[in-house]
Amino acid sequence: MIIAGIDIGNASTETALARVTDGTPEFLASGIVGTTGIKGTRQNIHGVFASLKQALDKVNLTVEDVDLVRLNEAAPVIGDVAMETITETIITESTMIGHNPSTPGGLGTGVGKTASIRDLKKANKGDSVIVIIPREIDFENSSQMINEADARGVYVNGAIVQRDDGVLINNRLNNKIPIVDEVALIEKVPMGMRAAVEVAEPGQVIDQLSNPYGIATVFDLTSDETKQVVPVSRALIGNRSAVVIKTPAGDVKERKIPAGKIIVEGEHKKAEINVDDGAEAIMEAIRSVAPVLDVTGEPGTNAGGMLEKVRQVMSNLTNQSPKNIKIQDLLAVDTFVPQKVRGGIADEFSMENAVGIAAMVKADKLQMSMIAEELEKELKVKVEVGGVEADMAIRGALTTPGSNKPMAIIDMGAGSTDAAIINRAGKIHSIHLAGAGNMVTMLIGSELGFDDMGLPEDIKKYPLAKVESMFHIRHEDGTVQFFDEPLDPRVFARVVILTPNGMVPIPGNYPMERIKQVRQDAKKKVFVVNAIRALERVSPTGNVRDMEFVTMVGGSALDFEIPQMITDALSRYSIVAGRANIRASEGPRNAVATGLVLAYCEGE
Amino acid sequence: MAINEQMLKSIIEDVLKEMTDSAPAASAPAAPQGQAAVASGVELAPIGEATVGTAADEVVIGVSAAFADAQTVNIIGVPHAKILKEMIAGIEEEGMKARVVKVYRSGDVAVVGHDCAELSGSGVAIGIQSRGTCLIHQKDLPQLSNLELFSQCPLIDLDTYRAIGKNAAEYAKGESPAPVPVKNDQMARPAFQARAALLYLKEVEHVTPGKKPVEMKVSFK
Repeated sequence: MIIAGIDIGNASTETALARVTDGTPEFLASGIVGTTGIKGTRQNIHGVFASLKQALDKVNLTVEDVDLVRLNEAAPVIGDVAMETITETIITESTMIGHNPSTPGGLGTGVGKTASIRDLKKANKGDSVIVIIPREIDFENSSQMINEADARGVYVNGAIVQRDDGVLINNRLNNKIPIVDEVALIEKVPMGMRAAVEVAEPGQVIDQLSNPYGIATVFDLTSDETKQVVPVSRALIGNRSAVVIKTPAGDVKERKIPAGKIIVEGEHKKAEINVDDGAEAIMEAIRSVAPVLDVTGEPGTNAGGMLEKVRQVMSNLTNQSPKNIKIQDLLAVDTFVPQKVRGGIADEFSMENAVGIAAMVKADKLQMSMIAEELEKELKVKVEVGGVEADMAIRGALTTPGSNKPMAIIDMGAGSTDAAIINRAGKIHSIHLAGAGNMVTMLIGSELGFDDMGLPEDIKKYPLAKVESMFHIRHEDGTVQFFDEPLDPRVFARVVILTPNGMVPIPGNYPMERIKQVRQDAKKKVFVVNAIRALERVSPTGNVRDMEFVTMVGGSALDFEIPQMITDALSRYSIVAGRANIRASEGPRNAVATGLVLAYCEGE
Repeated sequence: MAINEQMLKSIIEDVLKEMTDSAPAASAPAAPQGQAAVASGVELAPIGEATVGTAADEVVIGVSAAFADAQTVNIIGVPHAKILKEMIAGIEEEGMKARVVKVYRSGDVAVVGHDCAELSGSGVAIGIQSRGTCLIHQKDLPQLSNLELFSQCPLIDLDTYRAIGKNAAEYAKGESPAPVPVKNDQMARPAFQARAALLYLKEVEHVTPGKKPVEMKVSFK
């Protein structure tokens, strides 16, 4: 008889077609199409039909030849993500932190009292001045005025400029001074205050103002005052140019935003953690109260709002009241978010700490039996709902050459990470964890400051390259590729994502290395952490080391670097981990569909 | 459509009238905007036939035949002197050098830009017509392509010209600048099309087919 195992996944609907004779399957063909509609709804039927047809066409069979269709019983698990910023930087007229114009002018460190360039004529001989140059005065005039003052014996020791004029002014000066430009809100710079301006050589970073003792030297600070400038100098580390102004009230503060508490309710214990304690503390709490029954946030706080939002999304998706939605796992990850500095005078941004959270909710059984009934009517073939998804997946995964019981599988999808283990006796145990592909996308997006989620999704999926000329690109590993035809001018000189549909330019001036770093960090923070977490849970002893074989299945196992990252991380526990190769031909795809057929043959 | 010949005719007549009696006056309303002493004019003195540059830190500004010569202001009366000064400033601020070349063989902004990109040591050039339309070009691109195009010349202000110079310099350095924001106004086309066409015709009068591009010495008066 001919059996079709069909797996309706979140993203794709896969078919395994086999001829079974005396309980031995002979696999004929596979099919894969995108899932139509949301998993577990009536719309899936179109996808099921297309996927089945694709497989049948490959071996010249028709629907009439099929004797039995087996559908998966989908794990009713849905995940969602949220993010909360937990620090903010507030500055009060003392400095421009995070302001790093690409082309400051001049070189060195200059100290003096701030004065508008319009008042430069009033300056006395011997005065030390830092001139403030607003937009209205163009570079020709301002450089001339500085030269005149200089000739009169006024020490013009530095300049703060509103327009992008630093190099232009510097090129026209008789005596070179450090110039910081592109200060958008220049009218906020206080006049008559002692200020220091420092500009380093191209490719170098400032060393005087990024050193607390350097600032103390410049402004004759006492030891107590020096303690207070530490955040200022810390914020300036790594800049090519900087301005520090000493005002009576000037200060930089890094403040923790009270984000509220998360309450984790376990079977036996309960734990409360402050979100601003960071991801590690939250994960420790989750571990200590496991198994988790529900997670709630303190009402009226950001944490409460964040978790309620997740609950709301879930309840919309599953048509259940938010009260019945129980968050059963949480993955918290520390990250950074670029935020506008409060009180800044150059529209500066600073990287603030944030916590990203993925939550996993178990919903009611999805309506697979309803789909089976409809399908049976339409196909006029017997349709049945096969076993639990994880069980099927592990059976499928065992067809990977070189694998053996006991074995664990990790199925990394978009919303959740699932793991299952089969012991020598063939008993299967499975779990679901929060945090997967969607969380990686969120982390990439927030760290690079992209609002739209399409771009981070592409960054996650595909490698990068830099277009170095119209005819060649440099891949992220350094190799160069040449082209015969000139490339699209829109990608010229840009960092691009090498998608199957061509190169997609990334806006902004991020170097390729930085984007690559963000991408890999995000993947490690979610997938490697979750792989280990999942294995700890399914391991009979609670120890990852007691496992021998781990295979990866699902969409994320097709990623160009995640499997290697996990193989690498798990090799430290002396585990054989790798991408599954279902039936030695399908790669990490088709595990559940294959498992459905195999389960039938084993007489289930 | 019924926009009718008559209306078009009357517009053209208006423009023509404006052209004839405002030719000398056109630069006058623009002048009071800034200090007349600094930027009332620019002189382009031919140095000789332009050669292919060898310095990787140069960006060529290619100007059309009538630029700062037969015509001295753009379509909305901004003096060429100021435009050129801003573009050179944008290039200089990025630590690059500007070289000005005049192209005689065509009045087409793509030809002007591409010819100059081929002459540019960095392979990047700005092409600009007398009416103000401009683009950033790269030597390996097809002539009718470009890196950035600013086709609605009545909407380009001096800050934008500065940003165009800056972006051209950044491309030349191999950086990835965000494209200069371009203003868009559906009314610009109907309001200025006739004038733009006339200015182009006036430009083409000075085009000399076959004449080689000439390097220019720029002196602001």
